[in-house]
Amino acid sequence: MKITKADIGLFIIFFIMSLISFVYVYNMGKSTGEQTVIVSHDGEVVGKYPISIDRQINVDKNGHTNKINIKDGNVQMTFSTCQNQDCIRQGKIHDGSKSIICLPNKIVVEVKSEESQFDSVAK
Amino acid sequence: MRTENIGKKVALSGILISLAMIFSYIESLLPLSISIPGVKLGVANIVIVIAMYTVGNKIAFTVNVMRVIAVGLLFSGAFGILYSMSGCVLSFVIMAILKRSDKFSIVGVSMAGGVLHNIGQLLMAAFLVSSTAVFAYLPVLLLSGIATGLAIGFLSREVVRRGKFDFK
Repeated sequence: MKITKADIGLFIIFFIMSLISFVYVYNMGKSTGEQTVIVSHDGEVVGKYPISIDRQINVDKNGHTNKINIKDGNVQMTFSTCQNQDCIRQGKIHDGSKSIICLPNKIVVEVKSEESQFDSVAK
Repeated sequence: MRTENIGKKVALSGILISLAMIFSYIESLLPLSISIPGVKLGVANIVIVIAMYTVGNKIAFTVNVMRVIAVGLLFSGAFGILYSMSGCVLSFVIMAILKRSDKFSIVGVSMAGGVLHNIGQLLMAAFLVSSTAVFAYLPVLLLSGIATGLAIGFLSREVVRRGKFDFK
């Protein structure tokens, strides 16, 4: 029942994994250029909006409704017909390091910079 | 003799399932479980870890699966079952493998369970929304998995050490 060497090794592996993923996600968020809000349903993009222009977006898919609000460079899910309301609690996002996900309604809201999109096309 | 054993097992599984359900319910009341999808303390996992080390993998697995189904039906619906089942099954399989290797203590096994529980849920979430955007939550989920897994590991170790288990 004593802590073994393998335990400590596993802990170090997990810890390094989290550090690497932290750095990776942080770099994803550190983007330059015009930021675009991308709303997708079940993997398909249903709309792209510049983050700099305030607006209200309504997404109606499969009888579910989600309302997304872009205001002062922040994006927020303001209304959802889902049961758990996790997407509302995820709050405001403003860069690629975070995304809003409504699992029951399969809605994903991401922020991406135009530059990184060109990069992925070029590859 | 044999029927007596089966009765004992059924009763024990029932007690463990209800205990795990109570833990799941308490967890759902905690404000910590909000904001990020999948970040749960995984308190109910303590029952699974203790069951693994006292009554064996078979009953522990049954308790795990039945708990997910029962809690899902009560609180989150069929969708929630799918979501947490992936985490539970993945973490259980990895925990069973690590335990069998005999190189890890209960704390290490539980830590791996905590991390894999979160990774499993994340993979299912990515699959369900067909998007890799969910992986933005990976660092937080990894760290919280390590922390809760360790806490549960140390607690389970004390329970297994001090408790008198003569179920076998």
